[in-house]
Amino acid sequence: MRTLIFATAIRILTPVFLVFSIYILLRGHNHPGGGFIGGLIGSIAFVFHTLAHGTKQTNKSYFNLTFYKFDKKPDHGKFRHALRLLRKNIVRNKNEKPVFIWNYYLLRLRPTYLMATGLLVAVFSGSVGLFTGKPFMAAYWLNAKIPLIGSLGTPLLFDTGVYLLVLGMVLKMVFTMSKD
Amino acid sequence: MLVVLVLCLLFAFFAPRLYRLLGRYVAIPMAILPFGIFVYLLSFFPEVLRGSYIIQLYKWVPALGINLQFRLDGLSLLFGLLITFFGGLIMVYAAGYLKDNPLLGRFYLYLTLFMAAMLGMVTSDNLFCLFLFWEITSITSYLLIGFDNKNVKARSSAWQALLVTGMGGLALMASFILINLATGSYTFTELLAQNTSFSGHSYFAPALILLFLGCFTKSAQFPFHFWLPNAMAAPTPVSAYLHSATMVKAGIYLLARMSPVFAGADAWGYTLVVIGGCTALLGAFLALQHTDMKAILAYTTISALGQMVMMLGLGTTVALKAMLVFLLAHALYKGTMFLAAGAVDHCTGTRDITRLNGLARLMPVTALAATLAALSMAGLMPFFGFIGKELLYEAALSSKIYVWLVFGLTFLTGIVYVAVAVVLSFGIFWNKVKHPTKLEHAPGYMLYLPPFILGFLGVAFGLAPKIAVTPILERAVQSISRGELVELELALWHGFTKELGLSVLTIILGLLLYKALKFVQSRYAILNPVYNLGPERLYHKAFDGFLVFAKKLTMVLQNGNLRRYIIYLILFFSALMFYVLWHDTPHILFASRVVIIQELPFHDVVIFVLVSSALFYLLGTRSRLTSIVVMGLVGYSAALIYIMFGAPDVAATQFLIETLTVVIFVLLLHKLPAFIYLSHQFKKYNYIAISILFGTVMTYTMLVVQDHTIESELKTYYGQTSLLEAHGRNIVNVILVDFRALDTLGEITVLAVAALGVFALLRMQPEKGEKP
Repeated sequence: MRTLIFATAIRILTPVFLVFSIYILLRGHNHPGGGFIGGLIGSIAFVFHTLAHGTKQTNKSYFNLTFYKFDKKPDHGKFRHALRLLRKNIVRNKNEKPVFIWNYYLLRLRPTYLMATGLLVAVFSGSVGLFTGKPFMAAYWLNAKIPLIGSLGTPLLFDTGVYLLVLGMVLKMVFTMSKD
Repeated sequence: MLVVLVLCLLFAFFAPRLYRLLGRYVAIPMAILPFGIFVYLLSFFPEVLRGSYIIQLYKWVPALGINLQFRLDGLSLLFGLLITFFGGLIMVYAAGYLKDNPLLGRFYLYLTLFMAAMLGMVTSDNLFCLFLFWEITSITSYLLIGFDNKNVKARSSAWQALLVTGMGGLALMASFILINLATGSYTFTELLAQNTSFSGHSYFAPALILLFLGCFTKSAQFPFHFWLPNAMAAPTPVSAYLHSATMVKAGIYLLARMSPVFAGADAWGYTLVVIGGCTALLGAFLALQHTDMKAILAYTTISALGQMVMMLGLGTTVALKAMLVFLLAHALYKGTMFLAAGAVDHCTGTRDITRLNGLARLMPVTALAATLAALSMAGLMPFFGFIGKELLYEAALSSKIYVWLVFGLTFLTGIVYVAVAVVLSFGIFWNKVKHPTKLEHAPGYMLYLPPFILGFLGVAFGLAPKIAVTPILERAVQSISRGELVELELALWHGFTKELGLSVLTIILGLLLYKALKFVQSRYAILNPVYNLGPERLYHKAFDGFLVFAKKLTMVLQNGNLRRYIIYLILFFSALMFYVLWHDTPHILFASRVVIIQELPFHDVVIFVLVSSALFYLLGTRSRLTSIVVMGLVGYSAALIYIMFGAPDVAATQFLIETLTVVIFVLLLHKLPAFIYLSHQFKKYNYIAISILFGTVMTYTMLVVQDHTIESELKTYYGQTSLLEAHGRNIVNVILVDFRALDTLGEITVLAVAALGVFALLRMQPEKGEKP
């Protein structure tokens, strides 16, 4: 599976897939699509990436956020040190070895957390209705209309929850299975 | 009431944290809570004494009649005061008893939770509200008995208590449902207000039996008495609180509450008298046999519970009075004795009465408390127990059914109580010996003060019953005797009556029994074979049998062969469908089907040929990769069909799922061993037969469904409201996330659990020598 063409193509295509999946999620209310399909498309992006590059690489490139931290040089002031940190974090030089003091996995976006977040978001969107005195899961719509998305309301939030959960679920399964 | 309960919950769940902050001084806030509630309950005293009751209603599931409705009348108030006062003392005592235990915080969590549940139970008016609290008491009891979780016996005893009382709890729920169906009322207030008894109703007998089952298991009546002595594996404060003063009296409480409803029936009175009598006698009989202080106390508790049940069965006003007075007296003296026994155990390291001697000089206050309690138990003159015993005799003698049997049982248990009281006070504390038992440490004030207070109350109530307890008891009797106003006159001295003479006789015979105790105990060995046939043995047999059965069933149904799981599912489903179709066979016009087949469009035929040839190819192939790809082909064809019928959402989902399935299979493929036929060729035909069966059933069902389309307004409703009310044009998605969002929530929860299950299954490392 790890042919060069496939691997390279996937590297470029994965972000496209992801954007497309979010587009599918958002258009779901008026056209074919929705959270479930969107989540599946998003997860397929990662699954193909895993097929091409392996679990570790996928984890590294999409689910971990790394921050570089350096010790303060004695002749630098606080502000200058902060500026340097900012620069080093934005323009990353592969040759310069950073000193990791902060946890490497600063942002652990593990699939289980995605699942949990999705479930929480879904439940929360349902309980918004409770505050307005309606039963659980009653929809609550804002008046605002946004060009691409349409009207904003708790069903969209619910759909986002479904999206996150499906994404997390498939990733969890695939990552578990592809590890040995 | 709800505020009080929520406060209890808050205190309970903060207890471990408080323990971390305050150390063992956590006892101070935890003891202030029950005493505070005690005072709060006292504030209702004047209103209850006026003969009215207080009802508080919080809606929960009003559609089903399940509400948090609380009712505070005489009986509830009596129990509530008992629970909170005892609770406070026990909280203090526990701090002394479990001084060095690092889990003290958790202990307070359980104990406070239990107290809240108990309070909720005795004050709840709604039947299902009561059931809820009833079950919480069972669960907290389980946690408290098994508190010493490293001890095997404690764990198994906790299990036993939970299983027995839990079974009773289920029976109780069934009983409540039946009562509700028969009378249409959800609360005690409504039940009591109904003048007509429902004894003629066909649900009466089952409701009564199930109610008995619930109450008897909770209150350790024969044949379910065996869990109570085993529950003594709990720390002593728990035994004193749950298993003598409060929880085991929950069954008595419920019977008393229900007695105005059921009391008219013969079955009620006779059953209660017979079962209560058996229990009273059995408890007294077994109490003499034991030498462990807590075991003796446990069996006398069983016996006392039996007496209360018997009195409830008699049902006369004097019997109800006797029951309540005895209940209060029993709670006071038995609680004291348990706490004293705990102190002795704590200080000397043993509870065996043959090894305990002359402790009075070393622990004087404990000795005094135990003696006060023992004198009350024996029924001596100035103590509250005396009044209780007099009333018991009076009630027994005025019984309408089985007078001599009832009286004889009461008298016999009275004699045993005297003997036991002497054993537990004189025998341990006061008899003069050359070498009194040595103490490991002196009892702290936390260990001797609570029993002393309780013991002292026994005297105080006895000396001045008029001021202290008569009013509340009067209201309590009133609330269980259909609201009739009753006069309760409690006094120590009634003149030279029959009952006084009998009391004196009881004490004399009791002392004689104490003298002869050694001889009696030596004869108990004869009975050992009988115990092997007892209900406890039955329980163990049933328990083991259940485990073996479950194991065998699992071996048959889930033996690790995944194919078999699917086969069972399919066969069961097919059988169900067969059953349904057999019962009302719908008509299908096959002639019209033929016409449809003739008019089939070309692309449908193409897909049909594609799918069927793929399936035939699948049967012959031996390569896994090929079969996966072919299965994918079948799946994609299904998606095509969806598109043709104009369901783009479903089709998209199908496409994506098929893709994912293929990818996941490919990921797993290289881990599997090479494909070999291990089973006989015959098995393959078996599978083919099952598949054809399933396919036929499904096809037939589909045809039936198509022939009998159900006209529903849902479609038009969704069509109309989707854009107007739900702001969406895609009906499928609007249904998913708005109209039926709760279903979707359930589905995604299942998905999450399934993913975690896959994770657990794949990551579980099989232990050595075990099947993966």
